[in-house]
Amino acid sequence: MSLNYTSVQWNKQKKGYDKILWLGIAFMLICFIGFQFLFHPEITAETIIIRATAITAFLLLHIILSIGPLARLNTKFLPLLYNRRHLGVSMFFIALIHGVFSIIQFHALGDINAVVSVFTSNQHYQEISEFPFQTLGFFALLILFLMAATSHDFWLNNLSPKIWKTLHMGVYVVYGLLVLHVALGALQYEDHLVDWVFLLGGFIAILSLHLVTGIKENRRLQKDRDLLKKDGFYEVCLISDIPESCAKTIFLEGENIAIFKYDGRLSAVNNVCKHQMGPLGEGRIVDGCITCPWHGYQYKPEDGKAPPPFTEKLKTYQLKVLDGKVWVNPDPNEEGTYIEPVKLEDA
Amino acid sequence: MSQEEFYIGWQDEMPLSNKQFIKRILIGIFILIPLFLMYVVLFQKPFNHHHFEFGTLTELTGIYHGDPYPILEVSDEDSTEFILLVGFGKFGAEEIIYDIQNEHGALLGEEVTFRGTLIYGDGVTLLELTDQEESFVSSKDKEVEPFEGLDNSESVSLTGEILDPKCYFGVMKPGEGKIHKSCAIRCISGGIPPVMRVLQDDGESYEYYLLKGKEEENINKEVLPYVAETISVSGISFYQNGWKVLKLDLESIERNK
Repeated sequence: MSLNYTSVQWNKQKKGYDKILWLGIAFMLICFIGFQFLFHPEITAETIIIRATAITAFLLLHIILSIGPLARLNTKFLPLLYNRRHLGVSMFFIALIHGVFSIIQFHALGDINAVVSVFTSNQHYQEISEFPFQTLGFFALLILFLMAATSHDFWLNNLSPKIWKTLHMGVYVVYGLLVLHVALGALQYEDHLVDWVFLLGGFIAILSLHLVTGIKENRRLQKDRDLLKKDGFYEVCLISDIPESCAKTIFLEGENIAIFKYDGRLSAVNNVCKHQMGPLGEGRIVDGCITCPWHGYQYKPEDGKAPPPFTEKLKTYQLKVLDGKVWVNPDPNEEGTYIEPVKLEDA
Repeated sequence: MSQEEFYIGWQDEMPLSNKQFIKRILIGIFILIPLFLMYVVLFQKPFNHHHFEFGTLTELTGIYHGDPYPILEVSDEDSTEFILLVGFGKFGAEEIIYDIQNEHGALLGEEVTFRGTLIYGDGVTLLELTDQEESFVSSKDKEVEPFEGLDNSESVSLTGEILDPKCYFGVMKPGEGKIHKSCAIRCISGGIPPVMRVLQDDGESYEYYLLKGKEEENINKEVLPYVAETISVSGISFYQNGWKVLKLDLESIERNK
């Protein structure tokens, strides 16, 4: 949880994450370069650098895009999500090497500026097969730069989580641009079926993961729409439906609500973490605080306030229990408003 | 998952169940990635065996010809090679030769020594004048028989790809096709002679034509929209200073889609 600006808040797990990440990147690069020298010893150093960084960055992007939905589908993937930003920034630096080398190799030392050449050398913008694919990679790199430059919590706090999240959803634009960059570039030359199978296979895998996660989430929302309503309260579930120290989440009248059961009590807060909009309802009560599954941000369940010295606050909601059933009023209280928890003994 | 197993990133240790699961995932990734990369490399198009002697400067002495492009005719006891001269980076040699001639006098038909970087492959040799005007070493008078004209000329229709010979014959791998298209455009735009590569009937070997216009003028700018694409063209071909030359009828160019 951030309080003051520090470059990176290292902890044991982040250090371990980065060690494995860079070991993995080195492993990918070494494997690719080794196979090239083994099967194509005629290759030049420049081509090796361009291709090795391209394939490493593109593979990393697939991993980055898979982690989010996988963590929603199975919480055991959460350790991969925790430090995903370092994965993203690492991917940007590898893509940057690819972009810079490609511009130098194919566009520098010519009769016009190298960057201008990226956009003007091949002018067949109206044709698919001849499209100047480098421009797509250029824009993808630009978006990746914006994301990497604003990846720190300093920018998250200053831009607000909503704007920050919107900016970082640009990763999907990047992915689209890069799929086209590869399809209209490398695969117009390397036209073996295997390459198309890999590219389309990766695209279908990413798309399927997101669809499955989306369908699962949508099913939950559909079910929640058919609830009984009385005096502003909706009947949500049985008390016994909520596991101890866990939450039942519900989407009512535009409010994303998490109802937590802990120490014989019930409290309801907004389901969206103030840090990176993580799903608090998929978290747990730890040391008396709601703990976000994504990065461990914590809030007190009764007032939605982060424990001092932290300052984040959540909206809270009125609850009541009737005949063993939990009812919630989706009309939100101001962020940080104390609501007396419903004591299950009394109920 | 019990409360004890709940994962929190800022804690020193992750739950054992998470640890074991992530370990299995990482082992899977570390096995699959080399297999994936091996398949990508295995099915990659092979590179040619052309060479660029980067970092090695060679001195060559021969008769200098100005047509169709700057060429050095280098002979020894057994053979004669007609070496196409190109500039440093993505530039042709014509401006460099112009500057050298301004300083040292006309080179045409003289025995000239140049120092540069050799590029060669598929029976073709080029010399990059790496140090630009400083690539000129010396020259001396030599009587050379003038070019006899177009008596070996014939009308031809050809299908092939326009590429820049500097990259194709060794500087870049690959130096052809879509991924090299922008670079080839820059090179030809910078004065490197455009070459048309034509696949022969055997399906393996190529013939190379230096391209000129109908009036033997340079047509570098005019062919830029067709570089690195399969095209069909018509024109008059002839031999000149060891190279096949095609006087290209620009209006005959058709893109093969």
